[in-house]
Formats: sequence, structure tokens, C-alpha cells
Amino acid sequence: MKVKGKVWSMFMLLLITVVVTAGCGNKANNEGQGGNTAGGTETSTPTTKNDKDIVIAINSNFITLDPHNASDTHSISAARTMYEGLMGFDENMNVVPVLAASHSISEDGLVYTFNLQENVKFQDGTDFNAEAVKVNIARIQDEKNNLRLRKSFAKVAKVETPDAKTVVITLSEPYNAFLNKVAMAPIISPKALTENGADISKMPVGTGPFKFKEWVQGDRLVVEKNPDYWQKDLPKVDSITFRPVPENGSRIAMLKTGEADFIYPMPTEQVSEVEGLEGITVDTIDSTIVRYVTLNTMKKPFDDVKVRQAINYAINKEAYIKVVKSGLGAKLDSTMSSKTQYYSPQTGYDYDIEKAKQLLAEAGYPDGFETEIWGENESETMKGMQFIQQQLALVGIKVEVKSMEGGTLSDQINAAKTPEEAKIQMWYVSWSPSSGDADGATRGLFSSEMFPPAGSNTAYYKNENVDKWIAEANKAVDPEAAKSIYANIQKTVWEDAPWAFMGVDQIISGKRSNLEGVKVFPDGSINVLNAEVK
Amino acid sequence: MGRYALQRLLGVIPLLFIVSVLVFLFIHLIPGDPARLIAGKDATLEEIHGIQEQLGLNLPLWKQYINYMGDLLTGNLGNSIRSGIPVTDMLESRIMPTLWLTFLSMAWALVIGLLIGVISAVYRNKWPDHLGTLTAISGMSIPGFWLGLVLIQIFSVELGWFPTGGVDSWKSYILPSITLGMGIMSMLARYSRSSMLETLREDYIRTGRAKGLREYVVISRHALRNSLIQVVTVAGLQFGFLLGGSVMVETVFSIPGLGRLLVDSILFRDYTVIQALLLLFSTQFILINLIVDLLYGVLNPKIRFSQ
Repeated sequence: MKVKGKVWSMFMLLLITVVVTAGCGNKANNEGQGGNTAGGTETSTPTTKNDKDIVIAINSNFITLDPHNASDTHSISAARTMYEGLMGFDENMNVVPVLAASHSISEDGLVYTFNLQENVKFQDGTDFNAEAVKVNIARIQDEKNNLRLRKSFAKVAKVETPDAKTVVITLSEPYNAFLNKVAMAPIISPKALTENGADISKMPVGTGPFKFKEWVQGDRLVVEKNPDYWQKDLPKVDSITFRPVPENGSRIAMLKTGEADFIYPMPTEQVSEVEGLEGITVDTIDSTIVRYVTLNTMKKPFDDVKVRQAINYAINKEAYIKVVKSGLGAKLDSTMSSKTQYYSPQTGYDYDIEKAKQLLAEAGYPDGFETEIWGENESETMKGMQFIQQQLALVGIKVEVKSMEGGTLSDQINAAKTPEEAKIQMWYVSWSPSSGDADGATRGLFSSEMFPPAGSNTAYYKNENVDKWIAEANKAVDPEAAKSIYANIQKTVWEDAPWAFMGVDQIISGKRSNLEGVKVFPDGSINVLNAEVK
Repeated sequence: MGRYALQRLLGVIPLLFIVSVLVFLFIHLIPGDPARLIAGKDATLEEIHGIQEQLGLNLPLWKQYINYMGDLLTGNLGNSIRSGIPVTDMLESRIMPTLWLTFLSMAWALVIGLLIGVISAVYRNKWPDHLGTLTAISGMSIPGFWLGLVLIQIFSVELGWFPTGGVDSWKSYILPSITLGMGIMSMLARYSRSSMLETLREDYIRTGRAKGLREYVVISRHALRNSLIQVVTVAGLQFGFLLGGSVMVETVFSIPGLGRLLVDSILFRDYTVIQALLLLFSTQFILINLIVDLLYGVLNPKIRFSQ
């Protein structure tokens, strides 16, 4: 049968082509990477990199490189490689001076004077000076631009520049969190702003350690060393490539093969997979992200504080961290994380099922009740809701889990214009103050002016003292005074229990062991200023 | 045939109009307010209203539609609601990876699928047929997501032959196209086998053999050509799905293509981008159908004449 022979030879030819192509690929790849080793599970390919170009894999795309309009953490991280503000954050989210050499605040808390660093230039060669700061604040405040930072500067009444190295900002009323907001506002080169116009979001020019090189949306953002950077001996690497890699498994694979030097976030359930592998280090730090369940305090049976406290006693938070968070996290012991400004730890609500039952009985629900919990349809969130369902079942509370896609959920919550219309009962969710400030971790969540759709007080929590204190804290000039006011707020809310207080997330990142200095800050932003390959 | 093609091409225009209306309405029916999703959790009402105004989302739906159609007719797809980047720029930078991935997947799936199908049919109920069937059934049942991750583990992590993702060189496309093409390859193998078997039973094949034609000629010139018509239909439809449906593969292999763009845009209700993508996918679907119809004529002139 000659014919069949021909068909077969065609097939074999194809097979050979495929194998040979794959083989060539292998050779080329090895040459490029300095030799990979094959083998069992311990194959975390100890590729040593001699070049100083590092690759960072993250889980989603950058949205914009306009630092005044970025609201997602990754865009903020990207902007911070190229831009700097008068103030910035250290790795504990404390506000520290950057482009301001020093600053002072008037006694009435209204006038902020910043003395600027000398000899700082923008990447386009123009001077960084007081006028540049003024132009930037004007841009942020301009209603036409509708920038995300605008509300942070709403209380700025005027900006003066007595000389090239001094900026005086006067507020219309005291604003305790103002320095944190200044730290969120990087300074763009005024020349670039005029020349690039709307395209500034694609062509960033700042004073930062890295210069913009290329942004291929969805694929990579490349920044290269700014040779004229004002801080001595920095940066220590030649370039940084950010790659969005949404799939968790793929990010881990990239770290193992050495295609990525740093990955973030590292999914909690996969930490055990890479821990102990040669050449890979896993870093964990506490974040500013808190996880909780809001309880609609205006709806029965959650209108009774005893019911809310009972729920807090009925959930084993340690077990929650172990089961849902793979042991990587901490118990939430206040309304905010320990990494947030003016945090004050609380005690109580230790797991006590008998106490929970007793409180429920006192509230008139000895046999429990039926309710529902909402949350997003992402796998870890679902796991969290199922855990809560299981825990509350033990005290007779029957919880129905309703998971929804993010946009739909947001609609469900914000459709109610008044507390009476609200259908929400329990919502398992997380919150992180974008600038690490106490106001950001309090006002939107506990002020009675912030019921949806105006804000995120989805517990419909109303306490006149808390309302009053939130306003006072903002105007407090003295940090100690502010601290004690926030301590009061945290204590009161903790006792009123509008939330089931669950946990604080840990930020987990993975890196090749020869990479140093890349850090994820508690707010989830990646800092590369001190990146170094050893 | 040229006239027929032109007629069909012109017929596409009203079809696209209907699609554009449907796409617009469907998108606005999905719950979720883009302004709120863009502004973020801690946004104030004022901010949200500002964004709505800026994007024209506060206008009545019919006005929004008129604006959208007006822009569309002048070839303006608008700017992304979320990032402010022109939609045409976004499509331009994302289209090539998806096209490469789709064409490569389709190419190998067609060749291997047909080969397996033909061999299976020729050796019906013998071991090559059983092997082919086994391959095809496995290929259809393996979830693409899982296959992708397994391929990465074996060929990238363990062997280091291919990159785990991205689109840096032709090598980046190998594993994703295997993942994406596997299902179609299997389907084509099954279709071409049954189609081939059917054709082999036809009278003209028997006549051909009786006339003493060589078996190779009977199979390649007569049987294969005629059984291709069914295969082309299936392949054409699948190709349409592939272009829009490479979402999963693009995610696993972090390929910056249209599929991933669509998912991201839907999550943030980025209306302008979703609209543009759906229009693009519909257009290519319609065009592929047109090409399939034209191919019929090439494969079997009888079809062309009876038009």
C-alpha cells in the first residue's frame, strides 16, 4: 500500500519539524539565559543575572501614568518610579520629606511652608522650583481636569511662592491629613505639561530616579535609570520592566524560571509551593488592608448591638486566618490596620461561642435567625463567606451566601438612596486608606454623612460622638490631640461593633534572592528606589 | 464570483448597523456604573457626578446613542472611559498578538486535525483510527486553562525551552497556540474523519477505484477535496470564535491581546472599549463567514454555479 505510506511519511515529517523547532528553541533560550538546569521540583533555575535590568511581574495592567489621576495601586507604583512629591512615604507609611528639604506648619494649622531641595532637575532638564509646585497644584485643583487628587486639595485656599525655593500653602480650614495628601501628589514638569498636554498620561516627566522609556499597554512598562538623579548613588539598576501577568500560576512560573526577578502579589495559597526553593525569597509584611463584614445597623436583627457583638464572638478569627488566608494575615484588632496613622489596638471579642449564644438569647434570638451575606465572586472572597456561614451556623444563625460580580454588587449597594431602601444585610469586603491616613480609614466608613451612595458606610452606622470626633480630628493641629481623638473613635466603634472584625491582610511578594531593595509598602505600592542586583 | 463577493460585502453594512444598536443597548443594560467603578471605593458623590458629566453618561440613553453613532460614522471610536486613551490606539496595540495567536493555532490545528481525520478514516477501526480517536477525545476534554499551566510547568519551568508568557519572540507563541488550538484540532479531526468516511462510501469513489486510479489520487484529489466542505464550515466558525475567545489563553500566558482587553474592559464597564471590541469581533465573524462561503465555490464549482 504505497498510498498509506505517503500519508504516514507526511505525518512523520511534521512530527520531526515540530521536535526540531522545539529543540532549536531550547538551545537559543539557554544561550540567552546563561544555562538552565532541568530536573525535578527543585528546578528553580538559579539564573544569575549580570545585567542590571530587572523584571517585576504584577497582577494587572497599569491604567494611567498621570500621577494626579491614578487611583489603582499599580498605576501609583509606576508613577512613583518616575515622579516624586514634596513629601513621600517610608516603608511604614510614615510621611517623610522628599522634594521638600523641610517643612513647617503654623500653629493654627492653616499655613504649610515647604523649603525645597536644591539642585533638583526634571528629567527634561528644567529646574524643579516653587513655581513648578504651584503649577501642579493649580492643575490638580482645576475643575475642568476632574483629576482624582482634586478632593485632597479642596481645602487649599492659596499657594504662594515668595522665592524659588519656598512654597507656602494656605488652607481654608485645618486639615489633619493634609501632609498625607501632599505625599500623594507627585510634581510633574511644567514644561512637559504644556508641551504634552493630555498626552502627559502616556509621557511622564518628573524628577524621579527612573525615566520613562516605553509603555506597551497590557504587555510592559519600561523605565530606565535617570543619570541626573539628585540623590547620590541612586538608582543602582539600569532599568526596570513591569509586566502585567494576571494569572497567579504564570507569575510563579516566571519567578521560578528567572524571567521575573520580583513578583507581586504572591497568592497566599501558593506560598508553600516556592518556599524553600533555592534562589527564591518570599517576603511578607502587614498591610493597611482590613477585611471585615459590615452589619446593617438599621436593619433587624443587626440593629441590636448584642447581636452584632454576638457575631464577633461567634467567629473564630484565628481559624479564619488559617483557613481562608493560609495562615498569612493577622487578626483585625481595631477599625484600622497597625500600619495606618493613629492606630490604637482594642481588646475583646475573643472566640467564645457560649457568650455569643448568651448575647443572642438576651437580644431575643435564642434560636438564631436567617440572613444573607454579600461579596464579590472571586474565589478567596467566596471562601471567606463560606467560612463565616459555617461559623455562624454553630450559634444558629443561618447565612445565605450571595456572591456577585463587582460592578453588579456596587450597583446593588449604591441603588439605595436612603437607609430605609437599603437591602444590604451583611457584606464581606476589604478597605485600604490610599494615603495611609486615619481620616481615610475612618470618615468614609463610619461618618453618618457617608451612607451609600455618598460613601462606604454600608453598616449605616450612626453615632453622634463619632460624627463629632471625625470632624474634630480633621481640624486637630497637634498630632497628639489627633491621636487621642482617633483612639476614642476606634474604641467606640469597636464596642458598637457595626462590623464583624475579621483580619488584616499580609502583603506577600516573591523575589530572586540576588535582588535587594525592592519593597512592597503596606498600601500595596511597589518601591524600587533602592533596587539592587547582587 | 467577484460580483457575488461585492454583493455580500455590501450586505455586511446593514448587519453591522443592527449589531451596533444591539451592542450599545446590551452594554447599557448590564448593571454597574462605570463612573463609580472608575472613581474607586473612596470617591465622593461629587467626583462620581463629575466623571459622569465628563463622559456624557448623565445624558439620556437616546442622546448617548446618537453621540456614539455620530462618532462611529466619522470613524471615531472615542476614548477609553477608564484610561482616557483613544480606543483605536488600544486596539492597534492589542490586535497583532491576538491575530498571530489565532492564525498559528488555526494553522496547526487544521493541518494536524485533517491528518488525523484522514488517517483515521482510511484506517477505520484499526489502531491508527483508535489512536486518532483517543487523541481527539482527549484534546476535546482537556480544559484549556489546565493544559496551559501544565505546558508552562513542563516546557518553561522544568525544561526551560519556552518563555512562560509575554510576546517577545516567535517562541512566546508556541505554547499558547498549542493550548488554544487543541480543542479545534480535535474537533476538526472528528469532523474530517466522519466527513471522509461518508465521502469514501460515495459512488464516484468506487468508480474511481474501479477505473484503476491510484489510492493516493482517490483520497487526496477526490475524497479529501469533497469532504473538505464540511470541515471548512466548522473551521470557519471556530476561527471566528477563536479570535474573540482567546481570553483564557491570553490570561494564562499574559499575552497583551484583545481577549484580555475585553475582560478588563467589562470588569470596569469601559463602554467605549467594549463597544469597539464587540463591533470588531462581529465584523470579523461576518467576514469569515463570507470567506467560508466563497471557499465553497473554490472547493466545489457546482455550488458557485447554482448561486
